[in-house]
Amino acid sequence: MAIKRLFIANRGEIALRIVRAAQALNIETVVAVSDADRESAAAKLADRAIILGPAAAAKSYLDPRLVVHAARETGCDGLHPGYGFLSERAILPRLCAEHGIAFVGPEPDMIDALGDKLRARAMARDAGVPLVPGSDCIATAADARSEAKRIGFPVLIKASAGGGGRGMVIANSADEAEAGFDRATAEAVAAFGDGTLFMERFVPEARHVEVQLMGDGTGKVLHFGERDCSVQRRYQKLIEEAPCVAMGDELRARLHQSAVALAASVNYRNAGTAEFLFDVMRQEFYFIEVNARIQVEHPVSEAISGFDLVQEQIRIAGGAGLSVRQEDLKLAGHAIECRINAEDSRRDFMPSPGRITRWDAPSGDHVRLDSHMSEGAMISPFYDSMIGKLIVHGESRDRAIELMSDALDNFHIEGVPTTIDLHRDIVNHPDFRANRIHTRWLEQVLLPERERNAA
Amino acid sequence: MTSSEFERSVAVLLTEFSRSGIAELNVLSGDFEIYLSSHAGGTGLRQRSGKQLMVPPRAEQVAHPMAGETSRKPTAIVHEPANFPANARIVTAPNLGTFYRAPKPGAEPYVEVDAMIAEGDEICLIEVMKLFTAVRAEASGRLYAILAEDGSMVEAGQPLFALLDD
Repeated sequence: MAIKRLFIANRGEIALRIVRAAQALNIETVVAVSDADRESAAAKLADRAIILGPAAAAKSYLDPRLVVHAARETGCDGLHPGYGFLSERAILPRLCAEHGIAFVGPEPDMIDALGDKLRARAMARDAGVPLVPGSDCIATAADARSEAKRIGFPVLIKASAGGGGRGMVIANSADEAEAGFDRATAEAVAAFGDGTLFMERFVPEARHVEVQLMGDGTGKVLHFGERDCSVQRRYQKLIEEAPCVAMGDELRARLHQSAVALAASVNYRNAGTAEFLFDVMRQEFYFIEVNARIQVEHPVSEAISGFDLVQEQIRIAGGAGLSVRQEDLKLAGHAIECRINAEDSRRDFMPSPGRITRWDAPSGDHVRLDSHMSEGAMISPFYDSMIGKLIVHGESRDRAIELMSDALDNFHIEGVPTTIDLHRDIVNHPDFRANRIHTRWLEQVLLPERERNAA
Repeated sequence: MTSSEFERSVAVLLTEFSRSGIAELNVLSGDFEIYLSSHAGGTGLRQRSGKQLMVPPRAEQVAHPMAGETSRKPTAIVHEPANFPANARIVTAPNLGTFYRAPKPGAEPYVEVDAMIAEGDEICLIEVMKLFTAVRAEASGRLYAILAEDGSMVEAGQPLFALLDD
């Protein structure tokens, strides 16, 4: 039942990461590529690369039938979806199951259930997990008005079929809530094909805290500590840390317990992350959503636990149980990850594809770089602009900040603009060093300061 | 065998070898010998024969098929057979799928070698999870060679047919 040949249905740095994890387990690898990714690092490292279709993701990585057809025809008995793309589309594990391919992830019904944010909230409520004060489905503008008054302003109107920060409207008064209802419905239908809305209290100074989980499908769930992902721009994470030192030990323990209780209550299988909003002023955390997949920022949890999460994913998908007990997991030190993108942070973060003409990456005992890029490689215009993830691990947060600052100073990329200089500005900022940040800090404080200094 | 038939045979040999799982192949026929290797290092066969001809790697590096249960590293393969006539046009697969030469099992293939094909004619099917898409000729021509095996999986961009322009 253990997987012998793994199909990797993704690209870029995560495809490379999964190939490496499979190789460490002596599993053969077949990686899906589009026409634009034939020379990718993952394609070169894998035992075989299969060209699904042209560069456009819709005609290659996003077509579940092409992906499963390729996996089946190349004799793969396992498939890892990575993150993004089809990783949370239940049709993929369903097609895999039809063709005898073990999907590296949760059951399709679980993916569906957690993808419905209202259902996920109900699951959390049933498991005793605190929710953001909010509503169930709001059916009319009049409901929007009355619910908003009950919850207290400001409120966030959200799409049940949404997620990842999309499809949200803020209302600061009952009038705005009523007016916002129609707009939010239209946007939700357009973006997700489903106009179902609900409402949550809006917390102006919040931190985004999430817990890394791994379940065996029988109710046993491990946690690998929490991550603080509060440096964000337009709901996209730029920097993630583990642990969240802004939370005291007692609160942190309750957070882990809540996340584990939720996953255990649904017999969650494989890797997942429970995301929470941490209201620093009230010292309360509230459940937001569960991401039923491995996440971009998993390396910081691996750093503090010394545990390879992707290998464990593959083992569990092959029928193994959890390979460690919670009491044996020791979380130590502090890790920080910077997501380096090919974007010009001084020109509205315009994605800037192109060829890398110089690549001088930092290295060292405490430095990890998850990247598919190298000198001469192309950042193509068809996908995201991620260059790589730079991770450091030190004994304390202060030490990790020093390590990250040094690593960024020693990272030289030419040929495309990158966000290296932005990350340097962030980690050296007094607010970041003093850990006075929140999810709107980057957009409200640092970026405007940077613009003023440049002018 | 005429020289153009010979060229065609070599071209088909190159293509078929590239897509087989064979690592190395030495063909000796009369005073013609060709040694084909799918990886840069080569091995023992080199010692046996005095003369070797490496398959010239083409510009694009495309991953090489796996042989059954063995796994090998991806290497360059010949994307367009080197010895086809200058006016040959290669029809490639628009996406990955299973290549079928006939509309259904047991039926006559859409086209055979030397057939005259008109622009817009259906020349094969590509099947993905039971969904069949017909590939149509983009311009008219005579079918020179069939480059993929009926019922085999083909990848996006993989050569299927060589057509000669009129």
